[in-house]
Amino acid sequence: MRTKLSGLDRILTAIKLKEPDVVPHFDRVCQKVINAILPSAAYEDLVEYLDIDAARTNDKLSAWSYETVDTSKGIKQDQWGGLVRFTSENNPIPISPAINSEKDLVSYVPPDPDLPWRYKVLEQLVKRFKGERAVIAGVTDVFALSRENLLGDIGYFRAMIKNPTLIDHVNEITLDYQLRYVKNCIDLGADILWINGDWAMTETPMVSREFTKRFLAPPLQKIVEYAHSRNIPCLKHTDGNIWPIYDIIIDTGIDGLHPIDPMAGMDIGEAKAKFGDKVCLLGNVSCAFSLVTGTIEEVRQETKEVIKKASKGGGLICMSSNSIHTGVKPENYIAMVKAIREFGRYPISLD
Amino acid sequence: MVNLNELSNAVIKGDSEIVAQLTKLALDTNIPAHEILNHGLIPGLQKVGELFVKGEYFLPELIVSGEAVLQALELLKPMLVRESTSYKGKYLIGTVQGDVHDLGKNIVIMMLRGNGWEVTDLGVDVSPEEFCVAVREGDFQILGMSALLTMTMPNAAKTIEELKAAGLRDKVKIMVGGAPTTKEWAELIEADAHAKDGPSAAIVAATLVGKA
Repeated sequence: MRTKLSGLDRILTAIKLKEPDVVPHFDRVCQKVINAILPSAAYEDLVEYLDIDAARTNDKLSAWSYETVDTSKGIKQDQWGGLVRFTSENNPIPISPAINSEKDLVSYVPPDPDLPWRYKVLEQLVKRFKGERAVIAGVTDVFALSRENLLGDIGYFRAMIKNPTLIDHVNEITLDYQLRYVKNCIDLGADILWINGDWAMTETPMVSREFTKRFLAPPLQKIVEYAHSRNIPCLKHTDGNIWPIYDIIIDTGIDGLHPIDPMAGMDIGEAKAKFGDKVCLLGNVSCAFSLVTGTIEEVRQETKEVIKKASKGGGLICMSSNSIHTGVKPENYIAMVKAIREFGRYPISLD
Repeated sequence: MVNLNELSNAVIKGDSEIVAQLTKLALDTNIPAHEILNHGLIPGLQKVGELFVKGEYFLPELIVSGEAVLQALELLKPMLVRESTSYKGKYLIGTVQGDVHDLGKNIVIMMLRGNGWEVTDLGVDVSPEEFCVAVREGDFQILGMSALLTMTMPNAAKTIEELKAAGLRDKVKIMVGGAPTTKEWAELIEADAHAKDGPSAAIVAATLVGKA
């Protein structure tokens, strides 16, 4: 019997590619599922109730400001100046970018990352969980921020070919903001960074290897280097098929990679073999299929399979393939958490 | 005399200036607009689609080439309207209710327009009722619905059911697509076709109306 670790130590041990007592777990959980499990509770109450190993913030929801533009359509202006529309999942999806040309950039005033209210949710998590569970600060990837919120998808991809310096200028703004945001999060007690933003689609990466190296990797690397200078590990999230670019992502120095997207055909066993000795793997019970439409037993078996494929020697945090969204059956989420504890106790022998 | 292969090559390279120059030159030398479209612009864009599917081109290349064709189409539009033969048809598109992701849809639109379709975009988070109204009031050959989330896929099926209930199902062919969708699911909900991405959407749409 191994010594029981705290959630924080369990997560940090897995990130260091060592075996903790049990495969750790955390997930972002929507309010609908929280309410079904623990009526009227907050996210952090659920974390405590289910004894989850970490709690994480979402910077877009807790640290960005929005001004209402059209209440009936849920349209707001985000702090970067673009328009977003909130989904039923409470995700702000960009619908109109802040910057349409170099001219807009000349007079552009970025938001101030040092405003104290941005860190209230993080501070609450630190106050409640520090030292017991990992407190993870969500940080939007510079690529996602510059593309989705500043330039828009079409504007950003066009500029990659037609006007690369525009992207460099926008990245300077967003990277400066995010480095200051990250510094503040670490100063306030964040244990880990969660860098959120997709680099790939279901079939392929969004851009070529050349562009991935030129535009996407350098800002991520700068954030990772800063975090490492403060002894803080970085977990990178990207959906999609990253097989053609996984080495570039790993070379940025990240400590963990989520979710090894099963919907994009990525197998976590193959990931374990190819780069499980370099980064911690996070994932990948399907929240597109089994957690949504599967039976409790199907979820249990899929969770077991993930642990079987990727837990050897440590380096696995078992979680959903994106998040526990409103389509996930609450009983299936509970089944996944239970299965992690049933099958994820080291030493693991599931053959 | 403009060599339309050169126009295709400029589209493949995403060189919007050369595409515009060659299109103007072709018009100046009295090449009919539909020939410029069908033998210059569309073959170029189709090649771009093939390169995308093969993993040699990615979103930036797709977008730059698509935009070059759209600019050229603006030059051709007055002549195409006069010739009134070149549009493949009218296409109605939207992202299903509950889903506000539109990158995939916008690329489909770009590829469709570049391939000679007249596209009406209903936008994102479109309810079954809104789709029904547009189908009833419009003159569309195809309705395309995009869903990026598993949880919003049932709203495509719901829209098809509402079109049936309103007696509108046979008025249009229905295509569905989006990251979590499959050909099998499209058959299950009784759509007419499935397309996995923008380039294939243009091919499938042309096939559906017998203009491949």
